[in-house]
Amino acid sequence: MRRQRRSLRLLALIMGLSLVATACGGDDDDEGGDEAGEAPEEGVQGGDVVDLSAFAGGPAEHIDPRINTTVSGWQIGGSLYDGLTETDFSDPDNPEVRGVVAESWESNDDATEWTFQIREGLKFSDGEDVLPSSFVRGWESASDPDFAGDYSYLFNFIDGGAEKLAGEADTLAGVEADDEAMTLTVRLSEPYSTFPYVAGFQIFMPMPSAIDDLADQAEWENGEMIGNGPFMLESPRTDTEVVMVPNPEWDGTQYAEEFGLPEQPYLDSVTFRVSGDLDVAYNSFEAGEADITGFPAGRYQEAQDNYATTIETPFLGAYYFQINDRDPRIGGEENLLLRQAISQAIDRDEINEAVYEGSRTTATGITPPGIPGMEEGLCDYCSYDPEAAEAAYQEWLDAGNELTEPLPIQLNAGFGHEPVVQIIIDNLDAIGIPAEAEPFDSETYFGQLAEGACVICRSGWLADYPTYDNFMYDLFSTDALDGNNYGYSNSEFDDLIAQAKAETDEDARGELYRQAEQILLNEDIGTIPVNWYNGTLVYNGDKIANLIEEPTGHVQWETVQLSG
Amino acid sequence: MTSFIIRRLLLIVPTVFVALSFLFLIFFALPGDPANLIAGGAERNIDPGVIERINERYGLDEPMTTQFVKYWQRTLQWDLGDSFLTRRSVNETLGQRAPNSIRLAFWAIVIEIVVGISVGMVSAIRRYSIGDRFTTIVTAAASAIPVFVLGLVLQWMFAVQPNKHDWPEWARLRTSGIGPDSWAFFVIPTGEQWRYLILPAITLASVTTALLARMTRGSMLEVLRADYMRTARSKGLRERDVVMRHGLRNALLPVVTLIGLDFGTAIGAAVLTETTFSWPGIGSQIVDSVTARDLPVILGLTLVVVLAYTVVNLIVDISYAWVDPRIRLGKGGQS
Repeated sequence: MRRQRRSLRLLALIMGLSLVATACGGDDDDEGGDEAGEAPEEGVQGGDVVDLSAFAGGPAEHIDPRINTTVSGWQIGGSLYDGLTETDFSDPDNPEVRGVVAESWESNDDATEWTFQIREGLKFSDGEDVLPSSFVRGWESASDPDFAGDYSYLFNFIDGGAEKLAGEADTLAGVEADDEAMTLTVRLSEPYSTFPYVAGFQIFMPMPSAIDDLADQAEWENGEMIGNGPFMLESPRTDTEVVMVPNPEWDGTQYAEEFGLPEQPYLDSVTFRVSGDLDVAYNSFEAGEADITGFPAGRYQEAQDNYATTIETPFLGAYYFQINDRDPRIGGEENLLLRQAISQAIDRDEINEAVYEGSRTTATGITPPGIPGMEEGLCDYCSYDPEAAEAAYQEWLDAGNELTEPLPIQLNAGFGHEPVVQIIIDNLDAIGIPAEAEPFDSETYFGQLAEGACVICRSGWLADYPTYDNFMYDLFSTDALDGNNYGYSNSEFDDLIAQAKAETDEDARGELYRQAEQILLNEDIGTIPVNWYNGTLVYNGDKIANLIEEPTGHVQWETVQLSG
Repeated sequence: MTSFIIRRLLLIVPTVFVALSFLFLIFFALPGDPANLIAGGAERNIDPGVIERINERYGLDEPMTTQFVKYWQRTLQWDLGDSFLTRRSVNETLGQRAPNSIRLAFWAIVIEIVVGISVGMVSAIRRYSIGDRFTTIVTAAASAIPVFVLGLVLQWMFAVQPNKHDWPEWARLRTSGIGPDSWAFFVIPTGEQWRYLILPAITLASVTTALLARMTRGSMLEVLRADYMRTARSKGLRERDVVMRHGLRNALLPVVTLIGLDFGTAIGAAVLTETTFSWPGIGSQIVDSVTARDLPVILGLTLVVVLAYTVVNLIVDISYAWVDPRIRLGKGGQS
């Protein structure tokens, strides 16, 4: 799960990594070429890059992929480690999973057991071989309840994972490594047709035997963190910067030719420098002290006019307002018309123009473009229609309902959501619905929402991996993780999600998810989508010839190249 | 004098004890469960088993009094514990950050004293001149402009614009970071280091310098009207000697007091300055730690700040004797 929070800390988005997969496995030989990895003609080998976007607002809490939750931490973790799979975003409308350390994979008929064939000859930066048992070592440590991070819930998908996390088992019963045959077999607790998408997620990275010597796994990220990715740390991280240099043991040509990866990363170093906030970072960027930064609030257009940006990259993320279905003022079937009125009263285009200077895409559903199976326009009540909104509100009043006090709209304060909420309050006021902003401290915001503070609460979600399930199940199913659903529960919706999870045919699976989303948006109005995110980076286009921000916010730094 | 210093040093003990104990107790009075934050924060509902293990590991399941006693036992051995968030040693964090804050504070104080006293003195001597009026306006503005705004403006003027207009490299001041971390005698910047230091030092010094200049001006004006100044002139002393030896020295007493009190203001300004300039000091770390409710780090940093504050004020008190020999420290402060 990735939410927006402070640096999470500022405008920095909390986003996740992503991975896509095909239902019955695949072979990377079947995958298309990776245009992102192809060096442009003018690019050169060598050079240094300083990035201020990742840590604008403070250093990363974690960079160990086993416990990291932020996209900024994953900029480093994802460069230090290669996982079983990753997503090929060269066709953004149709991202596909491809094998990285896994050469291929296959599943049994009901998608409950997956076998990954591990590529031979890969090494960690200390020279140790990357073996199937390296993954077992990584997964066992990441699911150790004394160490496990926020994403450890993903081990629940694996047979024995729930027991391990609960401290009732010492090992993950469903994971077996055969280093002779170079296979990793994973038995799941229930059918999961898109498991290869999940298997490349950061918490499932391989780990070298050096972690066995640690008294406390938390020490790993404060040291030199040996990995098998294209980069390694120049020295242990500090509070002010993290510097990555090429890992001499990594060889991009060992992966499929279609990836178009260089033998070694083009850059000599990537420095992630900490700055006070995005305004400070942008000043430093303009002062020539860095090559990459993020967009400060209110400077989208200026940045686009003067520098290269990734603003055109659609992100796999949605900005929305969640409804607390348990709240008597707004939830339940009796308030359906009120929710419809609210959703239709919101001028999403005005929000996009006034607050984001047109840099986002107005949402017509909750699941963003780029998610396989997604279709635009699923939401019947997401278009600005004040007349229809007013009529729906009047009908709700005529049924004997009333609002005795303004509806509170919750937001995490200090992260630029205030003007969005103010526009919504004005929109609602225009049709007679009283509302007021209720700001919360950002650090405890989502915790308080989950405990019942949400009435109409701002939220954001960026895909961990580009699957429909990551939006539908994780956010809105009855047993959604971490109380994300805020009381939303519909058995028909849940049944459709369960069917989709087990469905191995991609088209049929997409249809099931779309049906579920339509129930959520149109029959229940369980959430109010506002916009879909776009790219976040501003960079020096004169210096950098090739920089691609993936729709998950991750940059494949080994493909970044300076101009000649 | 010696007994005065010893007494004042002993006073540091209860001061530190009260300040840290208060913070410790406040932490437990605040809503929210620290174990929940350690386990991943406010973003999710944590498995109760995980919370239990974290409570056990950090001793958070023990009674508050037990935790309190253990905290002080560790602190007395200068073991400040580990960060809840990053699990790094607070001693290590302090070791990295405290020198940076000390250097920045040192230069801010130097600017404050040199510029503040000089400007205030000249302004008083040339009362109602254009320079005096200009100084009055500038010091009022400097006191009113928020530190982070001033910092951003200075960055734009002296770093962004020089870069856009291709000024020579040496003339481009830096907006963020500590730079090459190259110092002589601990506080003297060498090589390129001054380009990183100058803007945050000026920003941090801005508020206190303005106050000091106004205080010096007021104090000097009062002294310049004193009888002994007329006497000094009538003795035939040069005006420079009259002002420097008789005027300034007498005018400095309230000014020195202000420098000590200003240190508290400077600590607050340092939080903003260090954040604005990404200066890796104690101030910027305090912001992150308070936001994350990272108690061990908050307490460790506060300990250092309280120690610094008390020591600076001790130095100020001692300096009274130098400024005004009539003051006899340790003997009831006769004058």
